[in-house]
This record gives sequence, C-alpha cells and structure tokens, in this order.
Amino acid sequence: MSLLRTEGLTKHFGGVAAVDDVAIAVEAGEVFGLIGPNGSGKTTALNMLSGFLAPDRGRVWLGDEEVTRMKPAALAGRGLLRMFQMTRVFPRICAFDNLLTAGLARGLDEAEAARRAGALVEELTLDPVKYLDAGQLSGGQRKLLEFGMCFMEPPRVALLDEPFAAVHPVMRETMARFIRSRNQRGHTFLVVSHDMPIVVELCHRAACMNAGRLIAVGPTRDVLKDAGVIEAYLGSGAHA
Amino acid sequence: MSTERNLWSHRLRSDFRAALAVVAVLAAVPLFASSPYTLGILVVSMYFALIALGWNLLAGFTGQFSLAPAAFAMLGAYTTGLLAYHLKAPLAIGIPAAIAATALLGFLLGRIVLRLKGPYLALTTLSFAEIARNVVYNSYNFTRGDQGLNVPSLMESRVGYYYLFLAVLAATLGMLYRLMRGKAGRFWLAIRDDETGAESRGIPVVRYKTFAFALSCAICGLAGSLYGTFSQLVSPELGLLLQTGLVIAMVVIGGMGTLTGPLVGALLVYLASEWLREFGGIQLIVFSAAVIVVARFFRAGLWGLAVRR
Repeated sequence: MSLLRTEGLTKHFGGVAAVDDVAIAVEAGEVFGLIGPNGSGKTTALNMLSGFLAPDRGRVWLGDEEVTRMKPAALAGRGLLRMFQMTRVFPRICAFDNLLTAGLARGLDEAEAARRAGALVEELTLDPVKYLDAGQLSGGQRKLLEFGMCFMEPPRVALLDEPFAAVHPVMRETMARFIRSRNQRGHTFLVVSHDMPIVVELCHRAACMNAGRLIAVGPTRDVLKDAGVIEAYLGSGAHA
Repeated sequence: MSTERNLWSHRLRSDFRAALAVVAVLAAVPLFASSPYTLGILVVSMYFALIALGWNLLAGFTGQFSLAPAAFAMLGAYTTGLLAYHLKAPLAIGIPAAIAATALLGFLLGRIVLRLKGPYLALTTLSFAEIARNVVYNSYNFTRGDQGLNVPSLMESRVGYYYLFLAVLAATLGMLYRLMRGKAGRFWLAIRDDETGAESRGIPVVRYKTFAFALSCAICGLAGSLYGTFSQLVSPELGLLLQTGLVIAMVVIGGMGTLTGPLVGALLVYLASEWLREFGGIQLIVFSAAVIVVARFFRAGLWGLAVRR
C-alpha cells in the first residue's frame, strides 16, 4: 500500500479547475517529484495534501487512514509535514528556539528537543547563526531551518514546496545532501520543484501536472522525456 | 544579539528577575511612604499593571490585538458587585466567580474571533467591549446603571490592600513566567510570529489561542474584581475605551511581549498621569505622543531599551 495516496483530487477557483481529478501515490521510502510549469496546480495540490485547502472532490490517504479535509495540525501530528515555498519560520525567536518549538509541537520533551536541535543545527550548518532571531537569517538559512523544523521528529512524509528556489548553490547542495541522507534512512519525500537537474538527481519517480491535470507519472527520467511534458514546458512543436 | 543570551529561556529568566526586582522595590515602598494618597495611587497602578499583564499575554505574547481588556475588568468588577448586591454573596465567592465568569466570556469571545486578524479582530473586540459597557449602563434595574454599585471591602487597611495587590501581581507574574517558559509559552510565541507556520508544525492553534483569550480575560477580570472591592464602587466607566487606551499605552511604552515592560509601563504611565493631572487634561496627549515615539523609534519599549544596553 502506498504511504501517501490521492484519488480524484479536484479544486476549482471560480470557474477554473486549479487541480482536476489528480491521483498520485507516493511509496514509502521514495523521493517523489511533482513538477509542472507555473500555474499547473502543484502548490494547490500540496495545499490540499497538507490540509491548508479543502478539496472540492477527491480523497487523500496517509497509510491506511483517510485524511481528507483533516486540519494541518492534525496531519502534522500524524507525521505529514509541510515545508513552504515562502518559508514559515518564527522570526522573532532565535533559530535554536524555532527548532525547540517544532520539537515540542511534535511531542518531544524539552531535553530531547534540545538534543536534537543541537544535532540538526550542526548537520544543517546553522551553528554560527543558531542564536540569531530567525527573521535575521538569509533566505537560504531560513529554508535550512525549516528543513530542521520538519525533521525534529522525522515525518512519515515530508512535503517540500520549491525547497531549492532562490537558494545559493552551496545551501542547495546542503539541502540535497540532507534529503539524500534522510532518504537513505528510509524517509519519504514529496518534492515540488522547478529545478530539473536536482529533480533528476533526487527523485526516484515524478509526476508532471499541466493546467490542473496530471499528464505523466513514472520514473523521473522517463517523465522528463515524455512528449506531453516537453510540450507543457516548452510549448507545442518543441519536441518536433 | 547572537549569543546564548538570545535564547528564549535566557531572555525570559532575565525579564522575570527584573520584574521581581520591581515587585521587591514596591514591597519596600510602604516602609518609606505610607500616606493613604501615595498607597492609593500605587494600588491603582498595580490594578492597571494586572490588566496590562493580561492584555500583554494576548497582544504581546500571542499576537492577538484585543480592544476589550478594560471591558473584562469591568465585567469582573460587576460579577463580584452584582453577586454581593443581589445575592449577598461573600467576596470569597464573588472574587473567584469574577475570575470564572471572565474566563468563560474570554473563552467564548476567543472562539468567535478565532479566524479574525488585525483590524477585524480589533473591531470585533471593540464592539464586544462597547456592547458590554452599554448593557451594564442601560440595565438600571439590575446594575444601577451609571449610579454604580456599592461593593463591600475586603479590609479596612490601605496597607493591607497594597500588599494584597502586590501579592496578586507577584503571583500573576509567577504564573505567566511558568507558562511562558513551558510549552504553552513557546506555542503562543509561534502563533504570534506565524499562525500558519505554527499550524503546519502541529501546534493546536485553536486550543492555545482560546486558552490565551480565557486566561488574559480572567486576569483582567480578577484585577477589576479586586479594584471594585478596593474602591467599594463599580461603574460602567471602568470599561471605557479610554481605559483600554491607557492600558495599551502602558504596555507599548513599557515593552510588549515581556513581563517587566507592562509592569514598569503601568507604574510609569499611571504615576505620570496623576502628576499631569495638575496641568489639566493633557495626559492623553502626552501618552499618545509617547506611544508614537516608542512605536517609531524603539518598538521594544523601555524594557527593550534597557536590555539592549
């Protein structure tokens, strides 16, 4: 059974189908890429998966439990954690306290949360800035911090929305290394990204959306060679 | 600040110690200045300090900008007053009842305004405050309207009242310190900083926001209840928006999101307002100007300035 699965997921805004009858299945232990041109519905789909948007139709399962319309905090409690394209850290407390708070929210006691926060700031190269208020960190450092917050208690599935967008290459490599190492330990990721080289490198499988619909699913390299996917990105006639 | 001192637990501990030092200074005041006038002014300052701490829990720590703290103080005062007036209930029942009633009303108001932010939240709480005040004002047969209600006193001694208020203030500070250094405090700060982010991390935002509302209103209600027994008269004027403005000025000038700030702010602003009374009704002009200066040049308030140095 897939770890995260959707069936007929649909969301309309006015008369426009932002997500239309989408079915995806993320297997335990894989890194699954969700790609597509701007406005294809990736983030809307992610918003429905993470509970920030209720679908008009369709269902979502986490393992064998149906989690459709469940609130974000309840989903986070079940191990479905979200990282945002525009980072969501707590700007007026320091980076270390951000991690502690995330750990407490996942049910850790303060001593254990502090231990894990200490290990994560080192792994994510945030040690020199751990006592700075998160609002003072660079965009890349905030993304790394949000990674850390997601992994204070390892999630069953981490949903990452454009984690590599507008990030310095060194930090991008730190993030990619983090995803690789966690995936080697069996952690599952769903990554929304425009960064094709990194999608190819990280994702075992991928799905491509265009105009709200799923147009290709399969091994990442196969999806990227798909004529419909090339056309969605480059326009009609691009594969001719 | 990039040292360990910037950790929340360190910042909070320093803040709490400073607040306790202010309480210690207050405890010594009757040894040097025991005139009823001086003690009376300081008792009223501590009444405002309690409301300021309650409002700061909501606005400073949780990011929920309510305009109803004075209304909740009024409701606390009237709960005690009405129980004594109509049912001859002793204060041992009237004061806890004020805490319970305002906590319940705060909880309900918190549920109603759960999804509101910024001006919508402020206007909704302002509407609640004005409705509450007008109901009290117009229900003459029940509340005696603008005539006010006589409330029995807890004790005759003004020094006794002084230390009672001081003890309640110290206990409130202690309770807030314990909450703020634990899970609840961290979750409140997270909600203040980014509600969506807090929800996505698994923080039960609804539960903690309504908890903050209920507790904040209960603190204001307790302050109002005690003040009613001190002044032996409660009237709808306790709930005037002007009073809320004064409380906001106290917290902003002292330092929002801290324990010492509201305490120091309440003492300074109320003592200054008494002093400025001699010069006519210019208090509000002075405090409004002070709020503008603080908001523009040092948002962390006086306590923030002191810490930075």
